[in-house]
Amino acid sequence: MKWKKIGKIFDPSHYNSAQGYDEFAKSPQAIVCDGYVRVFYCAQRRGADGKYVSVPHYVDFNKSFDKVLGLSDGPVIKLGDKGEFDEHGIFPLNIIKHDHKIWGYTSGWSRRQSVSIDMAIGLAISSDQGVSFHKYGKGGPIMAASLNEPFLVGDPFVKYIHGSFHMWYIFGTEWLRATSGASPERIYKIAYAHSSDGINWQRNGMTIIPAKRAQECQALPTVFYDKGKYHMYFCHRDVFDFRDNKEKAYRLGYAFSDDMIVWHRDDSQAGIDVSEEGWDSDMMCYPNVFECDGGIFLLYNGNEFGKHGFGLAQLVA
Amino acid sequence: MVFNFQKKGLIFDPKQDVNRPVWMNDYAQAPNVIIFDNFVRVYFCCRPKPDTRAQYVSYCGFVDLNRYNLFDIINISQNPILELGSTGSFDEFGTYPVSVHKEGQDIYAVYGGWTRCESVPFNISLGMAVSKNGGVSFQKFGPGPILSHSPDEPFTITSPKLRRYNNMWYLAYTAGRRWILDEAGRPEIIYKLRMATSIDCVTWTRINHDLIESRLGDDEAQACPDIIFINGKYHMFFCYRFGLDFRTNPKRSYKIGYASSSDLINWQRDDSKIAMVPSDRGWDSEMIAYPTIFELDGSIMMLYAGNGVGKTGFGLAKLEGEFLS
Repeated sequence: MKWKKIGKIFDPSHYNSAQGYDEFAKSPQAIVCDGYVRVFYCAQRRGADGKYVSVPHYVDFNKSFDKVLGLSDGPVIKLGDKGEFDEHGIFPLNIIKHDHKIWGYTSGWSRRQSVSIDMAIGLAISSDQGVSFHKYGKGGPIMAASLNEPFLVGDPFVKYIHGSFHMWYIFGTEWLRATSGASPERIYKIAYAHSSDGINWQRNGMTIIPAKRAQECQALPTVFYDKGKYHMYFCHRDVFDFRDNKEKAYRLGYAFSDDMIVWHRDDSQAGIDVSEEGWDSDMMCYPNVFECDGGIFLLYNGNEFGKHGFGLAQLVA
Repeated sequence: MVFNFQKKGLIFDPKQDVNRPVWMNDYAQAPNVIIFDNFVRVYFCCRPKPDTRAQYVSYCGFVDLNRYNLFDIINISQNPILELGSTGSFDEFGTYPVSVHKEGQDIYAVYGGWTRCESVPFNISLGMAVSKNGGVSFQKFGPGPILSHSPDEPFTITSPKLRRYNNMWYLAYTAGRRWILDEAGRPEIIYKLRMATSIDCVTWTRINHDLIESRLGDDEAQACPDIIFINGKYHMFFCYRFGLDFRTNPKRSYKIGYASSSDLINWQRDDSKIAMVPSDRGWDSEMIAYPTIFELDGSIMMLYAGNGVGKTGFGLAKLEGEFLS
């Protein structure tokens, strides 16, 4: 694979959100519409307790990605009520067009006492091109912890292929402490689920991408089909010291598959890496691949998990 | 006809046993039984002393009662039957309540696993475990829950009762509906009785509707759907309370309710068939909670938790007259 970086295309500091979600633009994910591309992303603001809350927004681009046509008025999905799985944040949001609507698969965050958070996957549906979403059901997740996926079920990426739904997502395997007094940090891995209706999912508790690092976290898979194969990009990092240490920070990983089930990891074929300097020089994370007018594009975040916005690259070979 | 359960008194309160293990310091909650040849093993949930932040964890243990005199305690479990989960797991901070079912030589246990949250005190999912040593200790099926949260059951899946009828597993439980705040701003939970079925005890299908209507309005909380098959019909004894001010107020706290069914799915509630009221004084003067009903040597027995949902232990009631309904 070979990608040409187009550069950073959105910086949240240039805009004001109606409800003060002015920091970060994380996990950009695109749907292509007539005459424009709508990119959903998760913006953050700090609550009264100083903790960040993340909620999905969108920004519309022209199809050459050099002009912002407009932004959502504010969050497109409401956070959950007290005690619900998405009470303290929704990040990321994955969208697919289905049945003349837009289905949004969410990662809902709720805070815990002994560890920072837990996650589960929700579904919200939009009938107005993603301007607003209504949650499926009565506030609960479609996919939460299960027997062999004990916590942190999140980062859904869904595709409707050959008449059924396929999901790549992550689940947590361990909470680890760097030292006995340190806060627990999480390890999570990529897995696969299948569904006939997009709501009820079959999964088997297996991870599908071999680890490259000793204690590797794998996140945000994105899958596309090109030249007779399925391709997956994702991001990976070390479990500790990943926020400030460039060597342990998020990088993009790559795997390919003939059948969407068995994946061969080969990061050397990724065809894209951190820049020598600039906004994506220390970190690359939260990839999302989409097709637009015959081209294949990659959205991603750079340094500091998307604090400074997101960028775009185009597949050239 | 009315079920005429006569209270017989307190069976077990760990505080009254000076030799109790430290993890069984206080509480004996949500009893349920396995009947052995010479004794009745009563599983319940108990707590060590709270931590420095006044937070409890909950363990499951048992006492063995002389089959021919249930007030005679002949054995107390020396270790919890289940370990707590690891950091971040659904059952890190408690295993309560537990429901046991004997199938051949194995004993299966479903239990509520507790995690601690920030905006509300807790969240609960159901875990499953099996014992190969007669119910002394149990091995979990896996590190995660067998029944967690779903679109229509968004949080707090708890109060399980595991049964097997007609080659099918039935799991009656309670599912959180919403959190409401009392006058002090403390969150209290409203939950309703629900049901799931399974052929293998691992993969569960929810029937996805409330088993019974609410008598006390939307804010009625329902728990402990204990089911017994007698005279060709399924009978469910459960407990219910008001949404707030229920912890010590006998008028608003847990009472026993009743429903019946011919198919385990459709239930007719008729609380008028059971009229157990709290005692004038003593360990069950504020509530009658978390019942379990069983047949023993021709009699119908009930164990139930008293004040503080079992902080004062559990006691016995016996059905006088025929089981007619």
